[in-house]
Amino acid sequence: MMKNNNTKLKDGILRGLIYLSATVTVAILVVIIGFIFYKGLPGVNLKFMTRMWDDETTVVDVSRNNNSNSHGETDYVESLGIHIALEDKNIVIKSIDSNSPVKDAVNMKKASYELKTGDVIGKAGNTNFKNITLEEAKKALDEGTETIRMKITRTGGGILPMLVSTIYIIGLTLVISAPIGICAAIYLNEYAKPGRMLNIIRFAIQNLAGIPSIVYGLFGMLVFVQTLKLSYSVLAGAFTLSIMLLPTIISTTEETLKEVPMTYRESSMGLGATKLQTISKIIIPSALPGILVAIILSIGRIVGESAALIWTAGTIAQIPKTLVGSEAAAATLTTKMYWLIKETADLEQASSIAVVLIVLVIALNMLSKLITRKFLKKRTS
Amino acid sequence: MKHVGKNEMVAKQQKDYKEKVFHFIFLFSALISVLSVIAIIAFVFSKGLKPFFGENSYSFLDFITGLKWDPGTESYGIFYMIVGSVLATLGAIALGVPIGLLTAVFIAEIAPKKIVAIIRPAIELLAGIPSVIYGAFGLGVIVQLIKKVSPTGQGESLLAVICVLTIMILPTIITLSESSLRAVPKSYREASYGLGASKIQTIFKTVVPAARSGILSATVLGIGRAMGETMAVMMIAGNNIGGLPKSIWSKIRPLTSNISMEMSYASGRHQDMLFATGVVLFLFILVINMVLIKITSKMGNANSKK
Repeated sequence: MMKNNNTKLKDGILRGLIYLSATVTVAILVVIIGFIFYKGLPGVNLKFMTRMWDDETTVVDVSRNNNSNSHGETDYVESLGIHIALEDKNIVIKSIDSNSPVKDAVNMKKASYELKTGDVIGKAGNTNFKNITLEEAKKALDEGTETIRMKITRTGGGILPMLVSTIYIIGLTLVISAPIGICAAIYLNEYAKPGRMLNIIRFAIQNLAGIPSIVYGLFGMLVFVQTLKLSYSVLAGAFTLSIMLLPTIISTTEETLKEVPMTYRESSMGLGATKLQTISKIIIPSALPGILVAIILSIGRIVGESAALIWTAGTIAQIPKTLVGSEAAAATLTTKMYWLIKETADLEQASSIAVVLIVLVIALNMLSKLITRKFLKKRTS
Repeated sequence: MKHVGKNEMVAKQQKDYKEKVFHFIFLFSALISVLSVIAIIAFVFSKGLKPFFGENSYSFLDFITGLKWDPGTESYGIFYMIVGSVLATLGAIALGVPIGLLTAVFIAEIAPKKIVAIIRPAIELLAGIPSVIYGAFGLGVIVQLIKKVSPTGQGESLLAVICVLTIMILPTIITLSESSLRAVPKSYREASYGLGASKIQTIFKTVVPAARSGILSATVLGIGRAMGETMAVMMIAGNNIGGLPKSIWSKIRPLTSNISMEMSYASGRHQDMLFATGVVLFLFILVINMVLIKITSKMGNANSKK
């Protein structure tokens, strides 16, 4: 009797601990997400998503419109076809007519630089727009020669460059590592025979999977940035991540290849198809959803990676114009978030980036689930 | 007739040729992993070991046993970092493995399907959150909380690192433990129930012991993750320039954050020393990997025997 009670008590305690642990796990996630959204969500809006990171000041020339339609409004500049407004002592373009000449504005290099709503006019002709009234600004903009020279400042504070850079790095990395990873998985599952070679390859993949990303960062910096002189660039970052992702892509693809029933291979070979034909016509098509999941998983890894990217792709917020060289340095969302915390201790703005990251991760998780579910349904039916 | 036969031969030869070319491409792709590992080891080691050889070399013993890191005065000691990294990892394992294992037990053995359908995506999300976000959370919440109770009045500490690492290894521990718990044959449970054991007794006396090698490999993988984690840890460790940690409130400087902190401006010997830190980290990870590979291959053998 005594013993029975003891058992019950013990069972109760253990059961309590199990429930407690599960609760703690879920609570941790809720607290983290809650904290990030509480801090970061107020900063997320359309401007945050679409603007450049830094303020950008450009001098442009605009040829005036002759056939302007007079509105007689105090904030309308007829010869330029724009409405202006006074915001924080700055003259800002409030709206632009569809036939406005500011859409054909050119910068000093004669390249097109279309003005946009929200641009701040700092100077027009010889008039400085600092502490100016709306009337004075309108007068200065309407008067003068046929082409007017303006100093335009486009407000930053947005994450557009990081979004674009992240997409570039995802694309480049996948272009490099997906074919290699998939081919490697095909070799391991379809060609390799047990033996020394297979052991060595498996050993290498297992080790690659265990290497911490900071070591990849060191390697990438040493080899791609310094030795191959790619400098901090999207390409150097993509090369580094490609190696890092190989184990994920290979093992996930291999798992799906294993699931392709042996009978598929046998029937294909039995019909006289060669091994290569069997692989390209039968095995890869039926393993495609799994391969897609492997790629989505890899995208998730790339989005979240920072240690391997900081020393290979840099932390400059710009849309990369080339693949290598100083114009190619690019901060991804994650590296910029790290940079923000380290350099400015601005947890609010960092959390706003984190909100975007978490939404991305959730979307990727759901996408891979969706594919898996559809795929499984097809298999079982 | 003869003509056709010849054409067929040519076609067949071309086919064979194509087969061979692709066979080679597949093999070469697989070998890229091997080449990568060799290249990483060769490059990182050759740069990291440079300061200890040749003229004006730095004593390796001073490096590995030193308690102070101050590039300004040419003192590069990393022993206190090794201790910090190891303590943080052990702490995270001591907290994370029990919590993770019990959560896995909940998911695999106790929870109804509906609850599993909620918890599992939550854990997947936890696994997918970038480590920088964990760092931000650590800095914004955990460090602030510790600041309030710590006798030193500082939040950045060994304890903060342990907390964040515990959270970060949980998904690994849970997912791997869960799948090894699920792999335990049903007959084990039935036999246990048949002998009159309760559900909880069955779980802890039969199912968990039967899944122990899977749980062990989850633990080892967790050790590797914790040891190699950089960004999150760097923001909350305090990164002191010397001295062994005296308590959980002490600042530490893990190996990983030593590398990452100074890489941006280091040059010459200083940079080489950061690579040397990378080599030490790499050796730790290599040992952990070996243990992991041993365990998983043993698991494979045990399974095939069944």
